[in-house]
Amino acid sequence: MADASATVTGTGGVAPRRRRGGSGSLARVARFTVVRLLALFLTVVVGVYLTILIANMGGYVDELRRSTIRENVSLVVGMDPELRRLPPAERIEHMESLIAIQEERLGLNRPFLLRSFAYLGGALTLDLGRSEFLTSDSGSREVRLIILERLGPTLLLFATGQLLLFFLALLGGLVLSRRYGGWMDRLVIALAPTSAAPSWFYGIFLILIFSAVLGVMPFGGMVSSPPPPDPIDYALSLLKHLVLPVTAIVISAVFLSIYSYRTFFLIFASEDYVEMAKAKGLSSQAIERRYVLRPTLPNIVTQFAFLIITLWSGAIITETVFNWPGLGRTLYGAITVTDVPIIVATTVIYAYLLAVTVFLLDFVYAIVDPRVKLDVGGAM
Amino acid sequence: MRNVKWFLALALAFGLALGSLAVAQERMGAWVDTIVATEEPDIDRGVLQLDIGVFDVYMDGVSRPDLKRLIDANEGIDYVQAAGLYYELSFNPVGPEFPGGGLNPFAVPRIREAMNWLVDRNYVVQEVQGGLGVARWTAFNSAASDYARYIEVIRAIELEYAYDLAKAEAVISEEMEKLGATKVGGVWNYGGAPVVIKLLIRSDSQERVEIGNYVAVQLEAIGFQTEQNLRTAAEASPIWINGNPADGLFHIYTGGWITTVIPRDLGGNFAFFYTDTGLASPLWQAYVNDPEFYEVAQALDNNEFTTLAQRDEMISRALRLSLEDSVRLWLVDRLSLYPKRAEISVAGDLFAGLPGTPFWALTIRRGDDIGGRIDIAQPSMLTNPWNPINGSNWIFDQSLIRATQDYGVIADPYTGLNRPHRIERADVVVRDDLPVGSTYDWVTLTTAPEIAVPADAWADWDAAEQRWITVGEKYPEGVTALRKSTVYYPADMYGSVAWHDGSPISAADFVLGMILTFDRGNEGSFIYDAAAAPSLRSFLSSFRGVKITSVDPLVIETYSDLYQLDAEQSITAWFPTYAFGPGPWHKLAIGILGESEEAFAFSSAKSDVLEVEQISYIAGPTIATLDRYLAQATASGFVPYAEAMAPYLADGEVAARYANLAAWKARQGHYWVGSGVFYLERAFPTESVVQLNRNPNYPDPADRWASFGVARVAEVEVDGPARVTIGDTATFEVSVSFADEAYPSVDIDQVKYLVFDGTGSLATSGDATLVAEGLYEFDLDASVTGALAVGSNRLEVAVSSKVVALPAFDSLEFVTVR
Repeated sequence: MADASATVTGTGGVAPRRRRGGSGSLARVARFTVVRLLALFLTVVVGVYLTILIANMGGYVDELRRSTIRENVSLVVGMDPELRRLPPAERIEHMESLIAIQEERLGLNRPFLLRSFAYLGGALTLDLGRSEFLTSDSGSREVRLIILERLGPTLLLFATGQLLLFFLALLGGLVLSRRYGGWMDRLVIALAPTSAAPSWFYGIFLILIFSAVLGVMPFGGMVSSPPPPDPIDYALSLLKHLVLPVTAIVISAVFLSIYSYRTFFLIFASEDYVEMAKAKGLSSQAIERRYVLRPTLPNIVTQFAFLIITLWSGAIITETVFNWPGLGRTLYGAITVTDVPIIVATTVIYAYLLAVTVFLLDFVYAIVDPRVKLDVGGAM
Repeated sequence: MRNVKWFLALALAFGLALGSLAVAQERMGAWVDTIVATEEPDIDRGVLQLDIGVFDVYMDGVSRPDLKRLIDANEGIDYVQAAGLYYELSFNPVGPEFPGGGLNPFAVPRIREAMNWLVDRNYVVQEVQGGLGVARWTAFNSAASDYARYIEVIRAIELEYAYDLAKAEAVISEEMEKLGATKVGGVWNYGGAPVVIKLLIRSDSQERVEIGNYVAVQLEAIGFQTEQNLRTAAEASPIWINGNPADGLFHIYTGGWITTVIPRDLGGNFAFFYTDTGLASPLWQAYVNDPEFYEVAQALDNNEFTTLAQRDEMISRALRLSLEDSVRLWLVDRLSLYPKRAEISVAGDLFAGLPGTPFWALTIRRGDDIGGRIDIAQPSMLTNPWNPINGSNWIFDQSLIRATQDYGVIADPYTGLNRPHRIERADVVVRDDLPVGSTYDWVTLTTAPEIAVPADAWADWDAAEQRWITVGEKYPEGVTALRKSTVYYPADMYGSVAWHDGSPISAADFVLGMILTFDRGNEGSFIYDAAAAPSLRSFLSSFRGVKITSVDPLVIETYSDLYQLDAEQSITAWFPTYAFGPGPWHKLAIGILGESEEAFAFSSAKSDVLEVEQISYIAGPTIATLDRYLAQATASGFVPYAEAMAPYLADGEVAARYANLAAWKARQGHYWVGSGVFYLERAFPTESVVQLNRNPNYPDPADRWASFGVARVAEVEVDGPARVTIGDTATFEVSVSFADEAYPSVDIDQVKYLVFDGTGSLATSGDATLVAEGLYEFDLDASVTGALAVGSNRLEVAVSSKVVALPAFDSLEFVTVR
């Protein structure tokens, strides 16, 4: 593998450290950084451009749009009693001028290839531009505002849900790994398949039980209608509206996550060096902290980092079920009407977040795991 | 003592009743204090929340049979019904052979005509739509005044073209053989290959998918092979309407159309739907009609008749010829139900339902309550910026906007005829060769051999010099118009009607509206918007002049070549409510000022060109910009088009208006100022909630539109002998009622009877005579019964009302014996 990567040297345990001079290490890190950034940037460029091509169906969307504009204008003109009185030539001229205005607005008067590079250029420089159809909740066409307005609710819901899930799973996994074979362990294993159903599935049931039948929880939305003017009341209403969606998110994955972590911890707990530590008579807390948790840290950090960036895009169906005004619904709306700037903006931001995360994780691995070294062109 | 108690109790009850009555009488504006609109995209959940009382009204139409059953089974929920959407089959008329090869049977008019017998419309209504539809055979909507007017012809057509598979197969087989096709193993073959009918089916509508499937099954039953091509609206568009039909990519398209206002004149439908003058689309350009049909369709489209009797004859002919042409096969008028809590009374439009009419806000009430709050749910809201000039036209934004604005005239939700809202009365003069009639007494209709437009009327606008161009300047030789409307506004309008920020309405509000009609589409304008130019061009094609003949009270004359058959629809009722919302001049002025400096723009198209925000008066980034321009306008005393506006501004009006607007913004946090029955308390964009509060200064009593509480669709029952001796006179009775009470005869337009003999042919028809309120009678005399053969006959009665466009029917079978 000739890629720039963080390499794990040695096998099966703690590798002997290679000593190098300070300037040599710096050069190595600098070289690694440059190569890694270039590779990631190229990946982002390719990914974003592919998104542009796919979102536009390679330019076919232009044809659909032209046709839709022509259809709509024809119908508007054809059904307008004043316009129908115009002589045919004048009526067609009128129609063509309306069509030209709309085509120009959507940039259809320029070849798709040129526009695709304009989209790419804007995206890479984070000049997100203006949407083609959708507006922000408050009426702006700036993609930046469209995203920012929905980012808050998405982060609130998914950060609450996913962080709760993450820490519950981590803690639960740790606890169960200590009680391997106990009734709780068996219960969690038995319940793990419940995670086959997504959060929106549980959401529907939760709404049915707590909203429709018991009437104690709202059906959806972010706050009650109309939103309370007092900030404290608003916050309380927000909390109440968070309960069901967060519960759905947690329920949908908690058992499988606990089971995964528990298995993961168990595997590490049965390593030779853990047995050695036990034989040395170290306390179970010390063994857990030094010999189980630490080697598993890169994986946990990776999962945590990816969890954080996946919050970015929200979840289309869960947001829809709970009528939550998040980014997922915005993205779905954008895909439905092929609002390319919004699709591209969401993708490019995700791509940048992913690239930055991957880049930083290489350093984090090196910090938290002594076996990992930063290098270019290493081998695994 | 006991009597005293009784007396006291009675006195108390009487006092309370009087008190309630007094409160009811004093109630001005809306019945309720607050409307809270919340977004609920899922109609199932919307209905569920109606059931448990979270919502009171769901503003979107339900067309699913399962939901209809759910609503019917629930005593707590009922609905308002509308029928503005209709489905058809569009045939590709190219051929009979496509240039690229392949047979197109639908190039043959007789095969298209025979498709009427092949398709069972009642099956579509019952099985596809679960009863939520009305079978339809002609270009006329079943809930339109023209349908009722020509019921005699239409019912005969409906019977003639009723489902008859054997007849369809016979006619189609005959024509297929003429084309050179042969049946091999029960399958039509042409040129050695099976004839495959390509159905282009809209996949984004489950009903249209099922309709497509059904038609395919019927075609296969008579020996065709079919290919079903499911496409979304965007994907189908390049094929059916913009593609070349000669490419042969489809034979049949499952079409759907929507009408959002009750049509008063459907005469133009023949030219629009059947001939090449309908649309510039390649499909329409491929239509080749029988010359007689083409001629009558064009004549109807151009109103080339001078009497209604002439029109009747032309339409009767066009209706029959359209079935023989059948490039379009009408299937059903779909019914939509707008669910609501049973205790809520609210008026909905017969075509546009609840969100499409301002009457929902003017009439909504919970039982007999006064005040309180009503919660409505809408599928989506706040999708675009709100501004009166070119803001959101999304139906569920407009439903709320309508509650905040007034009108010169409002379309009656049940007949489509205009009713006066903020105008008092109108005079209409039409050229004496035009067949215009009037229904209501608020319009005075007269005719004249010629209508000359006064030289001092305003005919156009000089945007560069910001001044009116008079008729004398534009038409030095003088100009005439086909109609003139003179609108009289109430004498107390300036004192009684106020904007929500407290500013009294003034003539300047009207004049700015007139100026903006011309200015924005004019290249010389300082706020020129290319997107407004086409509309201006079409407006000018019929507009001849406008003249304010009196400022106080306000009287405005408008001259135009545009007229309709109803005088009520031939009125230009100027009022400062624009296409997308209410527009007091000072609210618009700050937008105009900002747009002139390219800080933002009213239209989406211009905002894209300038790469600035589109103005929103309710929320978002343009609110801060509007703040800035309000301050600037206040400081400078800015009046747009100052010279033209000056004569219509009162002393101190400019400063007072801006002060009122600033105070309103400080109080409400937005600039949405209207004069409607509700004002916008606040919009919560991210939460998708809008709160409307009752306008306490609204000048109309709450019960002004009480008669629109429900659509008074007549209930008809025909009764008479089941056995009639040939040659004898038989008398039949028709009772017409509504809610178990006799239908007032003054509201009845006609009670028509039709007798169809055993062969289904129309034997006779006529009008029943009023014998008592709600009771009509007619005789089939000896000459009529004498002409009937022995056997079964069908008597149909159609009742059309003046207050509801939807006709009512009943029928009776009777036997003729010797």
